[in-house]
Amino acid sequence: MEVTLIVAVSALVQFAAAFFALRLIRVTGGRTAWVLIAAAFCFMALRRLISLMSMWTGALPQPLDLWEETVALATSLLMLAGVIYISPLFFGIKQTAAALQESKENLEVQVAERTNELREANAHLAVELDERRRTEQLLAEYAEDLKRSNAELEQFAYVASHDLQEPLRMVASFTQLLAKRYQGKLDKNADEYIAYAVDGATRMQQLLHDLLAYSRVGTRSKPFAPVNANLVFNQARANLLSAIEESHAQVTSGPLPTVWGDDVQLVQLFQNLLANALKFRIDQPPVIQISARDGEGQWIFSVQDSGIGIAPEHQDRIFLIFQRLHHRSEYRGTGIGLALCKKIVERHGGRMWVESEASHGATFYFTLPKGDENDRTPPRI
Amino acid sequence: MIGHRPEFRPIEILMVEDNPGDVRLTMEALEEGKVRNNLYTVVDGEEALAFLRRQGRYADMPRPDLILLDLNLPKKTGQEVLAEIKADPELKRIPVVILTVSEAEADIIKTYNLHANCYITKPVDLERFIEVVKSIEDFWLTVVMLPPK
Repeated sequence: MEVTLIVAVSALVQFAAAFFALRLIRVTGGRTAWVLIAAAFCFMALRRLISLMSMWTGALPQPLDLWEETVALATSLLMLAGVIYISPLFFGIKQTAAALQESKENLEVQVAERTNELREANAHLAVELDERRRTEQLLAEYAEDLKRSNAELEQFAYVASHDLQEPLRMVASFTQLLAKRYQGKLDKNADEYIAYAVDGATRMQQLLHDLLAYSRVGTRSKPFAPVNANLVFNQARANLLSAIEESHAQVTSGPLPTVWGDDVQLVQLFQNLLANALKFRIDQPPVIQISARDGEGQWIFSVQDSGIGIAPEHQDRIFLIFQRLHHRSEYRGTGIGLALCKKIVERHGGRMWVESEASHGATFYFTLPKGDENDRTPPRI
Repeated sequence: MIGHRPEFRPIEILMVEDNPGDVRLTMEALEEGKVRNNLYTVVDGEEALAFLRRQGRYADMPRPDLILLDLNLPKKTGQEVLAEIKADPELKRIPVVILTVSEAEADIIKTYNLHANCYITKPVDLERFIEVVKSIEDFWLTVVMLPPK
């Protein structure tokens, strides 16, 4: 009786195992494998049922061995347990796969989004680039316009001053001739009138001459090259030798560097500054000191004098063309000197300024690009 | 002192200048000088060549001893006139003094290349102008030996 029960339970357990094996198809999708295993369980269960039927009908040749059937039941239970316990494992795998799939899909969506964003950003960038290119072109056009109008202005000043010289020469020459031939032969008034006419014409000639020189800084200049500032200083000093000796001036200079520029214009720059220092002196012999120091990619030159100085409120005016601080009877000149200096410095890409107090001397500063005597390629300014 | 010039013959000067003011100033300056001279003036390049070749109304004109030539002239420029003078075997030995307002290096080089005998810029100051004209007179008419006619 016990054997019958064990065999029946075995059969049930084996059917249950077959059922669970088939259920695993849903989880893993390995249909054939699970069907085969389920079929194997079913056949084992059928064998048990056939044994039970044979027991009832008494067709069994010999009674079933209790131990054997117990072991068979244990095996069936183990198989059932195995099938049941394997299921969560497959569930895990399935979930992971699903999660993987999902994340893959998510990733694709994200990639698509990013691609879209990138495309938009690119389009935006293209528009910006286009705008920038247009702006740059506009800027280049403005720069070109400015350059042209500057050149035209300089050309205008040059032509005007050049062509005005000719008729003015006639006025000046014939008023001078008039003065020469008829001085004292007409009346006192006539002499005075003629004197004013001669003076006016002569001053006008000087102004035109200076205007011409000023406009020439832009229109008539040499290509830049390395220039030894010591030689420039020596030349400027030599040009002013008689004025220096006459005023007993002490003109000294520290070691000066090599700069990048037009030597003729640089001599004019130094000479104008020295001449200025000699001209605007106090009663004592002038002391003029020139030096240079390194300053962020450029040389900073200074010309220090012991002269009358310039009050702070006038320091901007002195660099303007034909602006003068003194009456013609005090100091001669048209007021071109410093304007010319500033223009020369600016044409070299430098700056010019002054530090001074009234009656305490003045120091003029200007910057010039660095040059290398062995290198004729332009420095970056 | 003056090798090839008989004392009784005045110096003949041709001035090619379109500005009557300059002509007058030159005359004034020459009058102050010591050399007896005849100053002839023409106002443009074509007239200058006609004068030198004694064409048309210039048939009776003398051959000048010295030419004062302005560069900035109507019709034919001073440089063209200079080139023609220096290409003409009859005229090329007449000294040509360029007297101009131009200080341009290019003009100076070009005219010397065309065999100008000297290049002078007109001083803006009257006294200097008179001095320059006198020095032209002094140098070309008393110092140098001019070719015989």
